[in-house]
Parts: sequence; C-alpha cells; structure tokens
Amino acid sequence: MGLFDIIAGKRKLARPAPDRLFAMSTAYVTFQTELSIATRGVAGIVFQALETADFEQIAQDMIEVVEGTSSDSGTTVETRDDEYDYRWMILRDQDFDDLVVGVNAVSGALEAGGYGDRILCAVFAFEDARGRPLYWIYNYKRGAFYPFVPGTGDHERNHERELRLKAQIGAELPIEGELERWFPLWGIPI
Amino acid sequence: MARPTSFGRDTGLQLRMTLTLFLLGLVYAVLVGVVFASGYSWLVFIVGGMFLIQIFASDKLALHAMGAREVTPQEAPQLHAMIERLCVQANLPKPRVAVANTPMPNAFAIGRSPKKATVCATTGIMELLSPSELEGVMAHELTHVQNRDVMVMTIASFFATIAAYIVQFGFFFGGGGMGSSDDDSPSMAVVILVSVVVYVISFMLLQALSRYREFAADRGAAVITGRPSALSAALMKISGSMERIPQRDLRASEELAAFYIFPPHAKQSLMNLFSTHPPLEKRIAALSRLESQLQGAA
Repeated sequence: MGLFDIIAGKRKLARPAPDRLFAMSTAYVTFQTELSIATRGVAGIVFQALETADFEQIAQDMIEVVEGTSSDSGTTVETRDDEYDYRWMILRDQDFDDLVVGVNAVSGALEAGGYGDRILCAVFAFEDARGRPLYWIYNYKRGAFYPFVPGTGDHERNHERELRLKAQIGAELPIEGELERWFPLWGIPI
Repeated sequence: MARPTSFGRDTGLQLRMTLTLFLLGLVYAVLVGVVFASGYSWLVFIVGGMFLIQIFASDKLALHAMGAREVTPQEAPQLHAMIERLCVQANLPKPRVAVANTPMPNAFAIGRSPKKATVCATTGIMELLSPSELEGVMAHELTHVQNRDVMVMTIASFFATIAAYIVQFGFFFGGGGMGSSDDDSPSMAVVILVSVVVYVISFMLLQALSRYREFAADRGAAVITGRPSALSAALMKISGSMERIPQRDLRASEELAAFYIFPPHAKQSLMNLFSTHPPLEKRIAALSRLESQLQGAA
C-alpha cells in the first residue's frame, strides 16, 4: 500500500493474488509418499455470501459448474453457512486432483461473477498416519498456503506440528511467510 | 467480468481528503516560515521530541485510559475468530485484540502501524450488537488500522500542536515582555498572532480530515464485510443507546475521540465544523448509497 493510498484512505479490497492453488496437487504427492499424510477426500471453499440479487444465482451456477467439470470424477457439492455467516462450498471426492480442480472451478465462477474479492480461503482436509486431522488453508489474497492443526483443547492449535509441516514440505508449496497471517479457522465443518 | 468490484469509486471523498491535507500543509508552511524567521525555532524541536514520545508511548496509555485489557483467543473466541476472518478479507496481519469492561457501547483502534495495532471493543458493544453488526464495527476499526489513521492524524496535527504551544508559551514568556519596547517583542507578538490563526484554521481542517476518514472507514467496513446495512444498523443502535446511557464511564481523553466508532461526547450536530465524526444521518446516507451500489441499483 503506497503513500497515496494512506493519505487518501484506501478502501478497496485486495484482489486475489496470482493463483498458486494448483501447487497443492503436486505437493500432495510428497504428502502421501514421504509424510504419510492422506486426504480425507474433502475440501471446502469459504466466502461471504452477499445478499444481492445476482449472488444466489451465481452460487447456484457454481454448483452446476463443479458438477459439470466433475461429471466423470464424481465430485459431490454441498453448501453450508457457518456460525460467522460465511458460506462453505464443500466438495467431496476421493481423487485429490479432482478436489483441487473443483475448488478452482468454484473460485473461478465467483471471480467471473465479480465476487472474487469475497473469497476468504480454501481448506483441504487431511489426516496423518494416526488419523489426526490437519488442514492446509489457501489464502487467495496472498496466494499462499499455511497449515492449521487444531490442538486438543478448545481454540488451541498445535503450533509445533504446523511449523514442522512447513519445514517438511519445504519449497513445494508457496507458504505464507508471515506467521501472524496463519489465521486459524475454528469450527471447520469438514 | 460483469463487474470488477462490488462498489463504485469514491473520488469525491479522496479529493476532499487530499485537498484538506494540502490546505493543512499550506497553513503549516506559513507557521514554520514565521517561527523560523523569528528565531524561535527551538520550540519546534521541543515539541518534536514530545511528539515522538507521543507516537511511541500513546498506545499503552490509551489502552490504560480506557480500562482496556488485551484478551487471548481463549478468553474471547468469538471476537478473535471474527477479527481473524476480517483480517483475511482485508489482507491485514492480525492486530492485538482488547476488551474494555464498560457498559458504554464503543470500539476503537490504536497503533501507529498495522503490525503494532490494537483493536478494542467494550463489553457494552458486544452485548448490544448482533454478530453481523459487530462485524461491521470491527471492520470499521480495521479500516482505520489499514489506513493508518492514528499515524496520519498524529502527523497532521504536529504543527497544530506546535502552534498551540507557541500560544501558551507566548503568553507566558512573551506576554510579560509585550509592554517593554525591546526589538524582539513585535516579532513574538507576530508569532503568537500567526500561531493563533494557524491553530484555529488547522483545528477546523483537522476535524474535517477526521470526519472524512470516518467516512472512509465506514466505506472500508462496508467493502470488507459486503454488508453496509449491518453497519448502519449498528450505528443506529449505538447512537440510540449512547443517548440513554449516562456518560459517567467516559474517562477517555479528547484526543482519543477521533478513533472511536462513535464519538462519546456527541452533542447533536449543532456545530458540525468542530466535530470529529460526521453526523449520524450523513453516515447512514453514505452507507445506504453503498448498499444500493452493491445491489446494482445505483
């Protein structure tokens, strides 16, 4: 944000950064082979559902887009509103590549409708060899991923494992550099 | 691409803000010229020093003055989660989150840069507002953080502070020597006179700037949440209860007033020129214009 933005008071939402979502597809190979982290066959994309006339139509179109792109892969789509009034499009597919493609189709449809700046993030659900959940969250505004591992207590997260995951995956994923932007997501419905 | 963004531009507001800053600069240039010509330039350095202290120490003082306390995600999970999501939307690092235990419904943001920022809500506002309304208010505060309003207002008021000091010091020192006829006296009198004029003009310009930045923050909140009407509803609720709740809890100093979501000492807009916040009706009107832009009706 430049000096003029500060002087004039910037009031625009950041546009999505260049898309690096598909880095997740390649990184997943490493997850499986080296880290024994497996997909739970589910991913979600979170956005603000605006109460405008055309938004519901666009949301409806999105579902059709995903079901269209995945007619042979068999991705299922489910919509849910969470307690913070954000909408989740939950995609289920055992094939991880199809999940990434599906998430990309949703964000693409939102952007084409002019609502790209409403996307909060995409979430991919995994579990480790012992079945404990872990998530990789993709921040569209930053074009970067970060891990999110819920801890045992209420609203606690396992920072140690998150940092270890970051080290393990190394350069394969574009990882959010600023730790204070590793925003947790509580109550993930996937 | 039907529409690149959900909202239109606000060129008018940006122009007014830039013009205000330009006028402030002009007024200040006159002051600096006169002060240096008169040989009282050491005043500038004294005030400059105090100014730096203000920038670096004011955060803690302000939080303390408000009786606010930083809260952990465990203590206020809802508030933290709400702010985290807004930060993702606004592309901001997460600020510290504080809560002030007072029934007065209000919220404010402090901190000289986004990384040092703290946003604070009172227990009163969290009880009063619905989640989506509170979200609008917190987004308003986050826009203040993003626009670095604390820094902008502090810097913009630097020379106004100097002018105020000169007026005080001037009457203290120079005022006594006014009757004697040494060569310095006329010069000091001129400095005081110019300072008074600069102070009055810059005060009004600063209040105007503060009001514009409130509009900008309202707009930013609407852009971040995509729900201008929720913020309108919040403002109406806050102003409604402001009038009912007695003001005994207001221990905050006047300088802080500019950073509240709603001015604590709101006398109904008798003197718009001297107010840090725009009148409620104008804020609601601006927000409803945004809502119609969003709905595609404008």
